[in-house]
Amino acid sequence: MRSLILLIFLAYVAISANAQPEVITGKVTNARGEPVSYATVTLRGTKVSVAADIDGEFSIHGDRGQTLVVTAANYGSQSVLINADHLDIHLSVQENALSEVVVTALGQSQNKAKLGYSAASFGSTTITKNAPVGMLDGLAGKIAGAEISTTGGPGSSTKVILRGFGVIAGGNNQPLYVIDGVPLSDNQFQNTSNTTNALTNTTDFGNGMNDVNPNDIESITVLKGTAASSLYGGLAKNGAIMITTKKGHAGKLKVEYSGALTLSKVGKLPDYESEFGQGWGGVFVLSENGSWGPKLDGQERLWGSIVDHSQLEKPFSFQKNNIRDFYTTGTELNNTIALSGGNDITRFYFSYGNVSSDGVIPTTSDYLERNTFALRTNSNFSNFAINSSFNYVNRRQNAVAGGQTGSDGGGIFQSLLQIPVDIPINNFRDYTNKFFNVDNYFTPYAENPYFGLNENGDLQHTDRFFGNVDMSLKFLSYFTAQLRVGGDFTDARTKDWKQVASANPGSWNAGGNVEGFPRTPDVGSVTEASDNVSVLNGDFILKFNKDLGTKFNVEALAGANYYENRGQSQATQVTNLVVPGFFNLSNTKLPPTTASTYFLQRRMGIYAQATLSYADQLYLTGNIRNDWSSTLPIDNNSILYPGANLSWVASQNFNSRNIISYLKFRAAYGETGSDPAPYLTYPSLATGTINLPFGSLITPFNGVSGFRISNNIANSSLKPVFTTELEFGSEIRFFNDRIGLDVTIYDKKDDGQIFPITIAPSTGYSTLTENLGVVSNRGVEITLNLRPIETKDFVWSLIYTYAKNDNRVINLTGGTLNPVVFGITNGPELRAVVGKSVASIYAPVPQKTPDGKIVVDATTGFPSINQTPLDQFGLKNGYFGSGLYDYTMGLSNNFQYKSFSLSFSLDFRYGGVMYSQTASEVLFDGNGIATTYNDRRPFIVPNSVNAVTDGTGKTVYVENTTFVGPGSVALGGQNPGGGSGQTDFHFGYYNPSYNQGGGYGYQIFDRSFLKLRDVNLSFTLPHAWSTKISATSASLGIYARNFLLWTPKANVYVDPEATNLGNDLGGELGEFATAPLSKSYGIILKLVF
Amino acid sequence: MTMRIPINKLLLCACLISFLFLETGCKKALDINYNPNVPQLAQGNPSLIFPSAVLATTAKVGGDLAIVGGMWSQYFTQASLGEQYTDVDSYNLNANDGFVSGPFSSWEVLFESGLKNYAFVQQKASEAGDWNFYLMGTVMKVYTTTILVDLYDQIPYSEALLGTVNLQPKFDDGFTIYQELLDSLNLALGKDFTLSTNTDPGTQDLVFGGNMNSWIAFANTLKLKMYLRMINAHSDVATAGITALYASNPVFLTTDAAVTNFTDAPGLDNPQYEQDKRNLNTASNIKASTTFVSWLTDNGDPRIIYYYQSASPTSINQGDFGATNANYQAAPVYRNIDHTAATDPVEFLSAAESYFLQAEADTRFFGGLNAKSLYEQGLMSAFAATGDDATTFIAPGGVYEWGNEKEGGVVLDPIAQIIRQKWASCAFGGHGIEAFFEKNRTGFPATSPVYSTDPAYVPGQLVVVKNSVLPTGLMPKRFVFPISETSVNKNAPAAVPITVPTWWGK
Repeated sequence: MRSLILLIFLAYVAISANAQPEVITGKVTNARGEPVSYATVTLRGTKVSVAADIDGEFSIHGDRGQTLVVTAANYGSQSVLINADHLDIHLSVQENALSEVVVTALGQSQNKAKLGYSAASFGSTTITKNAPVGMLDGLAGKIAGAEISTTGGPGSSTKVILRGFGVIAGGNNQPLYVIDGVPLSDNQFQNTSNTTNALTNTTDFGNGMNDVNPNDIESITVLKGTAASSLYGGLAKNGAIMITTKKGHAGKLKVEYSGALTLSKVGKLPDYESEFGQGWGGVFVLSENGSWGPKLDGQERLWGSIVDHSQLEKPFSFQKNNIRDFYTTGTELNNTIALSGGNDITRFYFSYGNVSSDGVIPTTSDYLERNTFALRTNSNFSNFAINSSFNYVNRRQNAVAGGQTGSDGGGIFQSLLQIPVDIPINNFRDYTNKFFNVDNYFTPYAENPYFGLNENGDLQHTDRFFGNVDMSLKFLSYFTAQLRVGGDFTDARTKDWKQVASANPGSWNAGGNVEGFPRTPDVGSVTEASDNVSVLNGDFILKFNKDLGTKFNVEALAGANYYENRGQSQATQVTNLVVPGFFNLSNTKLPPTTASTYFLQRRMGIYAQATLSYADQLYLTGNIRNDWSSTLPIDNNSILYPGANLSWVASQNFNSRNIISYLKFRAAYGETGSDPAPYLTYPSLATGTINLPFGSLITPFNGVSGFRISNNIANSSLKPVFTTELEFGSEIRFFNDRIGLDVTIYDKKDDGQIFPITIAPSTGYSTLTENLGVVSNRGVEITLNLRPIETKDFVWSLIYTYAKNDNRVINLTGGTLNPVVFGITNGPELRAVVGKSVASIYAPVPQKTPDGKIVVDATTGFPSINQTPLDQFGLKNGYFGSGLYDYTMGLSNNFQYKSFSLSFSLDFRYGGVMYSQTASEVLFDGNGIATTYNDRRPFIVPNSVNAVTDGTGKTVYVENTTFVGPGSVALGGQNPGGGSGQTDFHFGYYNPSYNQGGGYGYQIFDRSFLKLRDVNLSFTLPHAWSTKISATSASLGIYARNFLLWTPKANVYVDPEATNLGNDLGGELGEFATAPLSKSYGIILKLVF
Repeated sequence: MTMRIPINKLLLCACLISFLFLETGCKKALDINYNPNVPQLAQGNPSLIFPSAVLATTAKVGGDLAIVGGMWSQYFTQASLGEQYTDVDSYNLNANDGFVSGPFSSWEVLFESGLKNYAFVQQKASEAGDWNFYLMGTVMKVYTTTILVDLYDQIPYSEALLGTVNLQPKFDDGFTIYQELLDSLNLALGKDFTLSTNTDPGTQDLVFGGNMNSWIAFANTLKLKMYLRMINAHSDVATAGITALYASNPVFLTTDAAVTNFTDAPGLDNPQYEQDKRNLNTASNIKASTTFVSWLTDNGDPRIIYYYQSASPTSINQGDFGATNANYQAAPVYRNIDHTAATDPVEFLSAAESYFLQAEADTRFFGGLNAKSLYEQGLMSAFAATGDDATTFIAPGGVYEWGNEKEGGVVLDPIAQIIRQKWASCAFGGHGIEAFFEKNRTGFPATSPVYSTDPAYVPGQLVVVKNSVLPTGLMPKRFVFPISETSVNKNAPAAVPITVPTWWGK
């Protein structure tokens, strides 16, 4: 051993002794001859790297015959042979800020030409242009094959799906986020008390990737395919988002400031009918929570509760913008200051960022305060480099619970939608006013929304630290060892509280209202949860890079990886609070319910990759990895998988590049094996708690302990999920890169889905964890770059993206062929269906005759619910369509005139259907436009028949004559087809509780949309001006985000991107009384000193 | 300026670190997949498992089945203009309905959380020679199985509860299952409860607090109930069984086999209260039914206060939801005195029921010499349960006098009178499903030819609900096979309509 070290040491000394570098100076300019500030100049094949100064000038130690590689943000990289002591280097602007060097798996920088797979890169300008809070917010609609959506208010989750959903169970379709080569955890910490019912009091405190300050990011590379991310293993089976952070450059101290003020307004809200006012059954009823009353006539009317023998008065007329006026203007401040600098040996970068964002919901109940600190150092010694990155994030978020009301209270959005169209919602702001308080709010069926906003809350505090230390040692010019250890530690404390609210005896809402209906008390609750998660990741990599002869080069690496993910969470809840307004776990006479959960998983892997290059045009890369995972059966815990890709830059052979300036072909195949979630391999007991349809019986039960045998059968022969992907692509550019086209086709399969399959309850178990089935995603991605106009002063560039993904469940062996991924009891459900997509939306539909007429119940006049199997699986619920888009398109335009730039981008997503509980609410209570059908006069369901049994026992159909409408006998009313009175079952027609067959047709609709994602007008101050404020550069921009939205006619209800059903597959069902999204406008200032 | 790092030291470091990787890479570091959040299967024992299995039986018998049973036995009905239980109160329980199929259904909860765990208790107790737990596990398994047989007619039994060993268990016919259940009761009763290997269940026994004599009495009474249930279909087996049972000089229940250990707190309370009142957005879904109210009122029965908080409540005609009617609005919510219903017991087999079963057996097989006394003890127990006294009612001239109770002016025969009173007693403790079974076995209480709004209606006779989805005049006799079973079990039999009697019915 010792002699080997000595040998290497001697070899090293010998080689370094050969080097006698000279000082080379140069200047970097762009096509217009203006200096390019802070370009990075690297001596190819070495770690020697310097940064140009503000004027683009640099000096570096190098030899003639060596090559300098010059890169800069927003410019393409340029290789220059050192053939003089002074070099003038010209960089050309890259469309889409694509840079030629991209970060690939394991954080290895790679020349893009060598990649046999598709990779999209974005620089900091694009990422931070419109002052986003989340690092990917600015990229929505800009990457072909990446669906990026923000789902709610300040701090809420971002949904990122690369090349379709591949995993049915467990909500595990998000990509891997990698920051400087180290995986970043992307946890969502919920108020765990709410997880028993995914529809009640839903809160979204965001996902982990949103903790990164976008201003700290130098570039983001999106590796969409498995072939690209294969070296990362199972973590990256859904693709990887590689984040490279900003680093300091040698030179004087540089201070960067970015500050933005954003104002936001509520976005799309349901459209309301304006003809009918408060009441039910066509009659004005003071205490009704709907607009099923008489026609609005503008007359002054008494309204609301009767308190102290007095009542309020207002005109009986439509309140325009009623819900819109409930919302306020949100304000968001987003400031980051960064210091950087250093010398040849050590550079540093420090930043502090603050986001204070108050959303559009009144009060600070939707609020995010985020502080981010980053400290990074890079040190290069002649043969040794050490880089470090330390990040601390402190976050405090208030979220408003969406979804339905629990027995403890909540359900603000539901309450808001249950206010008749003639009652001005703003009035209720004074929720302690005697007419609007708990006792006397106008209706006992819903709660004053301002009560919940002010009295209830959900708060999460997070402290997070993540970072890494990365060391590399160069033994030989072609042989390097790298050790990188990263960690990510999050501590989240969540508190949820609900105020006690019950009407005092004798009051309007205690049953003193005109209908004699008592409101249900809110018993109140306090939940405190603590989550602690840590991820450790270490890689030891040996790298080899050597030319073999004149035309061949081999670049290889081999390494080992250790990954550990550990977490614990505790949650305690008390209900039935005793002292109102005292939100502490001690405030109850009932025992608290508590839960504590721990998990730990480890994975160890070894891997190798080699790239063989021929003549700088043909690149063949092969890789292989083997993992050993703790979550697989201990005797069969090894996973082995390979990958390979080929790139051919054909244009290297062209004599002339006047027309085709660049042509490249790619082919790649990759495989990853991913391990299951922890604890699926050994049989265990389960808590003895028995869930009831509502509520549960809980163990320990009144002093008696209890456990039972788990209802899931563990699987001691569980196998990994293998994701394989084949992709082909081509890049072609014309006319000196004025036109660029990148086309990719791919075929990805996730095989061996780990899924708890439903088995016959008579086996004693409900589910069996199994590997079954294949989900396929096949598609095409096209990116077209154009620079139609390029003059000295004016450049117009545009990028068009198109992506079409065909998602299909190929087979599911051994289990049901159409498992429910997420469903609402007796209502719409999201199923993964063999032959269809993993997000197929089903719901009850009307019974139809063989010739397509709707069968209506002769008694009720409502369509009968279908009871005959509709497909080969025997499903009786009808298929409404896939929840996934058919295709997506994006268009970004950028106009640059001297120092001005104007840009805007459109995001278009076509196809798919969604369910909306918001629609359900407004149709139920008569606020929805569809409820004015036929002017609310009785009607017969068009094209309907009744089923009758003839003398021989056969079913025959006769014309339907039963009316829907006032006085129909639906559910016990009298006088079919006529009469009046309070029995009005129009409302039942839109409500699936009554119209089980027909109701859902109104609540499931096309989810297509076209959004104007952003518009930005920026102005860079001329150098002469900025120097007056001692700044080296200054720019000012105004922008708007998401401020125009087009949806199909059927959707007069919600922004289809808004959901409170999570940021994974389940969210594809739609939304369940979620908060609306907002649109925003702002101003951003960037200064560099 | 450059610095030179001593390369040998660094290499040493690298070697140490790689060695560390290899060291931690051993099997031990990866053998960490035992779920730390729950005990391992091997840690399960009868004392730990039995209570949660009993909770499963409690949850269904006293929850879902108390609601279905209470509606189908017509103690209460769906509140007008409400919708929570319109499926039950219109006989619209299809194979998909949440009461019949799915994660909260009796089928699923009783098989998975009940029977499987009782079987585990039986097996572990048998291995340990702990015959106390063996008997408890057996009696509860038999009781729970009969509930499923009586609801669904045929269920998997001989091939059930085997997990992956048999993922497609065949269905057995109800009578065969009954006979095997009786055999297993006899086997358990024949064990030696004095051996030192027996353990004291103590408070882990939610039913009798560890009193084995009560368990023996429960087993005997359960046998009596099961034999009587087969009286229509297999009267010979019933006769032989009851004769043999009485020959063994059995002790029958004189106290309730019930779970009473509830507190008024979420998750620790009576399951019907928990699911219907505490956790729904309205606690007034279940209201007084004209059927029960009219009978209690007609007889001046004081139990009316216990159920409806009033001696003369208004009521809703069974299943007439959707109608607007001031009386309907004013109809009281069933068992709505503050939170008292939160601690209502869940009856498995009540003392009153035990006496009524004995009275019926005496009438049918032993000349009826003791029937009067047993009937009267049954009534006294039934009244005592609600805090009332039956003395004057059973006294000569009392409305419930043995052999002299009238319905529509006609004196009831002994069996009709016993079952009528059992029906009334089953309102207590959420035991309506038993009254529903007995109605289907004996035909009592009689079905009214007219709806309860008709002047000719005889108070207390069961009516066909207003909004029935069944053909005219028909009432439910069973649950249909659940879709959650039939969709994944190839051996499931063809669907049988809800109106077809079970094997013991008529």
